[in-house]
Amino acid sequence: MNDILIPQLGSQVGPLLPYLIVAGGGLLIMLVDAFVRTLKKDHLSYLAMFVLIGAVVVQIIGDQSDTQLLNGMMITSDFTRFFNFLFCGIGVMTIIFATGVYDREGDYRPEFYPLILFTILGMMVLAAANDLMTLFLGLETMSLATYILVGGVRGNIRSSEAGFKYLILGGFSSAFLLMGMALLYGFAGGTGFNAIATALDAGEIDVLLVGLGSALMLVGFGFKVAMVPFHMWTPDVYDGAPAYVTGFMATAIKAAGFAILVRFAILMQPQLAFAWFPVLSVFAVLTMFTGNLVALAQNNIKRMLAWSSIAHAGYLLLGVLAMISPATGGSDMMMRAKEIGISSGAAILFYLVGYSLMNLAAFGLVNILSHNKGEEGEDINRYAGLSRTRPMAAASMAVAMLSLAGIPPFVGFMGKFYLFEAVVRAGLIPLAILGVINSLISVYYYLRVIVVMYMKPAEEDSYHGTEWVSVVTSSVLILLVIYMGVQPQAFYQAAARVFLGITF
Amino acid sequence: MSLITDHILTWVTFVPLLGSLALLTVVRKDSLARVFALAVALIDFVLSLHLWVHYDDKAGGFQFVEKVAWLWDGKINYHLGMDGISLVLVMLTTFLGPIIILSTWNAVQDRVREFLAFLLFLQTAMLGTFFARDMLLFYVFWEAMLIPMYFIIGIWGGQRRIYAAVKFFIFTMVGSVFMLVGILYLFFQAGSMDLADFMQVPLEHNAQLWLFAAFFLAFAIKVPVFPLHTWLPDAHVEAPTAGSVVLAGVLLKMGTYGMLRFAMPLFPDGVTFFAPTISILAVIGIIYGALVAMVQPDVKKLVAYSSVSHLGFVVLGLFSLTSLGIAGGIFTMLAHGLSTGALFLLVGVIYERRHTREISDFGGLAHQMPVFATFFMIATLASIGLPGMAGFIGEFMILFGTFSSTTLVSAKLMAILAATGVVLGAIYMLWMYQRVFLGKLNNEKNKGLPDLSVREVVVLLPIMVFIFWLGVRPGLILDRVETSIAQVLEPLNATLLHQENAPAHHTLIDMETGRPITSMRQESK
Repeated sequence: MNDILIPQLGSQVGPLLPYLIVAGGGLLIMLVDAFVRTLKKDHLSYLAMFVLIGAVVVQIIGDQSDTQLLNGMMITSDFTRFFNFLFCGIGVMTIIFATGVYDREGDYRPEFYPLILFTILGMMVLAAANDLMTLFLGLETMSLATYILVGGVRGNIRSSEAGFKYLILGGFSSAFLLMGMALLYGFAGGTGFNAIATALDAGEIDVLLVGLGSALMLVGFGFKVAMVPFHMWTPDVYDGAPAYVTGFMATAIKAAGFAILVRFAILMQPQLAFAWFPVLSVFAVLTMFTGNLVALAQNNIKRMLAWSSIAHAGYLLLGVLAMISPATGGSDMMMRAKEIGISSGAAILFYLVGYSLMNLAAFGLVNILSHNKGEEGEDINRYAGLSRTRPMAAASMAVAMLSLAGIPPFVGFMGKFYLFEAVVRAGLIPLAILGVINSLISVYYYLRVIVVMYMKPAEEDSYHGTEWVSVVTSSVLILLVIYMGVQPQAFYQAAARVFLGITF
Repeated sequence: MSLITDHILTWVTFVPLLGSLALLTVVRKDSLARVFALAVALIDFVLSLHLWVHYDDKAGGFQFVEKVAWLWDGKINYHLGMDGISLVLVMLTTFLGPIIILSTWNAVQDRVREFLAFLLFLQTAMLGTFFARDMLLFYVFWEAMLIPMYFIIGIWGGQRRIYAAVKFFIFTMVGSVFMLVGILYLFFQAGSMDLADFMQVPLEHNAQLWLFAAFFLAFAIKVPVFPLHTWLPDAHVEAPTAGSVVLAGVLLKMGTYGMLRFAMPLFPDGVTFFAPTISILAVIGIIYGALVAMVQPDVKKLVAYSSVSHLGFVVLGLFSLTSLGIAGGIFTMLAHGLSTGALFLLVGVIYERRHTREISDFGGLAHQMPVFATFFMIATLASIGLPGMAGFIGEFMILFGTFSSTTLVSAKLMAILAATGVVLGAIYMLWMYQRVFLGKLNNEKNKGLPDLSVREVVVLLPIMVFIFWLGVRPGLILDRVETSIAQVLEPLNATLLHQENAPAHHTLIDMETGRPITSMRQESK
């Protein structure tokens, strides 16, 4: 084993470099923080952003081939490079938002910067995993760092509670995942995705090992993407964590969860599609309805966005369903299956990007507009009159809300259009109808934010913070939301190309 | 010049949007913003005159076509085109544009730039909806209309503006999303979003029924067809005057336009299946709208309910499936846009002066404001449908078309019931006029009210001119739309012939001349 591995490493440093940079950057920042006494507060954030941007740049100028790394433990392809780019981009935005409020009481946490780098490293490894062990390593690296990010606001009880909850439930879900992996290992005789694929193709599928194993793994993934009924942690954790961490979790962690869910679903295709399909469609519908209906009743903006992010996970699950849909048939089955697979896969990736943009913009604004001192600071009614006091922030927020609601000409509409198109193409019209009914329900609570900002007069206790860097960053995100809504073609094509890069 | 004329539809559509962006960024002073917005709207009107002059109504079909690939390698295009039906509605939109902006000169004092920006943005969305030949493009414009109207009602509206704005948004959205699923289904079948390709899709009977229902729901809510009308009075009453005028003048026509352009040609089986039911709803709408209008204490609400009644006529005309009825429907869309637009402007004038719209607060205003009373009288009579004015021609054609319809169940009864709507219309409008303008000037507060200012006369006069002009010269509109109506109805016509093996006088159009008045001629033989 060793003599195979070591000569390989030399040629593999190139593709591994982005991972090494993020990992090394995290360690470096930790050391810098510990030993350099003269550090100003912003310096760490510059360094962290530099590391993330550096990783992306190295990846862009580096090798663009599809290769298996580390003896088949990891792969690099357009798919993994796309997710690396997405994670690093979200990371940079999150660092900007976090830095924007760090002079608020109790919010300066130098450990935030290495932690967010480690989280991103975990996600990158997760998206690139080609082996159950790498998958678990990536997932746990990501999760452990996130537990601290959530619970690390010293002296804030809500934050500690959220961190603790996330830790306990996350531990549970990891146990499920591990059990599922053990069963799959028992079936395939190896932990590599390649080995599993070979074993599946060989026929003789052991229903208990494969069925139960993949079902348990689905529970683990479902927890990460906040799929109902494994979503219980979401509102409390999103609510308790600082808004910039919540924004990060709602976008990056969800994207990471879907990255591995999509890869795993394709790995299990087509043998398990028939088993997964009914279960997953029930979960998807439940996820959409629960998310949207509960969001209707929220007064706290972060909880509202938390529930709405559950609903968005439901829409994305519809895309996954289209991808694994067994409804294909006829003589051109393979052709059609491929076509549907690509269109739904591209739709999922496109939606993830669009969703990340609009959600980050929203959370970035929530981050600076809310007191971080307690529940009442995040009451939606605090935003009354925002359109007069902070017109730019209010306009950005309004566009983010309309886009999340799926109104054209914003990216949220185009994302839903591509997703539902794939669902209809797969012949799942009832699911598409349930999907549009849900986006209809969601309109009401998104509009409510606009109503408060634009149509209610400011009240005395309306608090509107000032921090222009975050506002400008959010506005840039919003410009992207509009641009991708009007000219989505190039992005969609790129997504389709990326999706073709999934190789095993 | 060719830079503009080669892409004239794009220019007409997006000039208001450019103006809107300029208002939000460059133009800083309120007074300047008003002049700027008016100039933009006037430029847009002048540009649209190019369409009116150069549209060839004998050739019909879609002209000034622009097509650029947008998504999916040309399966979805930025595809604009205009036929006669679009033309007349576009002219109505660009004609009302400057009038609406001029009418807000004093009425809106708060956040002027934003208000004007939303108005111009709305104009772009409306024009795009009339031009779009690609279903996704159409849907984008269609939904984009909601955003500015929502803000216009919600920010500048009356007491219950938030309720009205949200209700407006959600009601309209409910219909549209089901239409979106229908569009996606057809897209999957046709392999392209182009309307022309949608027409080629062979659909089985049941699929047509479902799809027609999905499309019709979206359009029926917008019209609104009874019993989906409940958002309309709220929206109208709470909206600022300019919002009400756009709403009544153009937005409601989106629904009937959508029926005529999409729902009817695409799903002929659905049309013939549902037409009897829809005509019953339309007649209920006509009579119900009129009865409810009669008991309104608020002038604006009265006019709002009269819209329900008038749009009922339009829907009845369309679904009479006679070319006469359809031409009458289009004509009424214009006539209603003018007369109801004028009525809302006039109500706005009095509301600006007195800050009330209760009928009981007025009486004898004709003594105090004779010019105002005259204009109001003209608009009232036009709304009633007095011969010689625009409203008469359209309603007459609709009634005649319905009476001679062969597809409706008990068409003659429908026509008779609808005709009572005309009588009721005369009653509630004239009764309202009598209580507001005639009699003695009793209320002290009404003494000393100034008559119309020059600006207000300038706002109202063009509408008055066209009310008379169209009344005595209906060919101005009818000549332009007749070929297009025949073309739009071709698929429907074929189905009808096929289904009933109908004798010649039952066909919708005379194939030799293509004139829409065929059935009237043959009835009179």
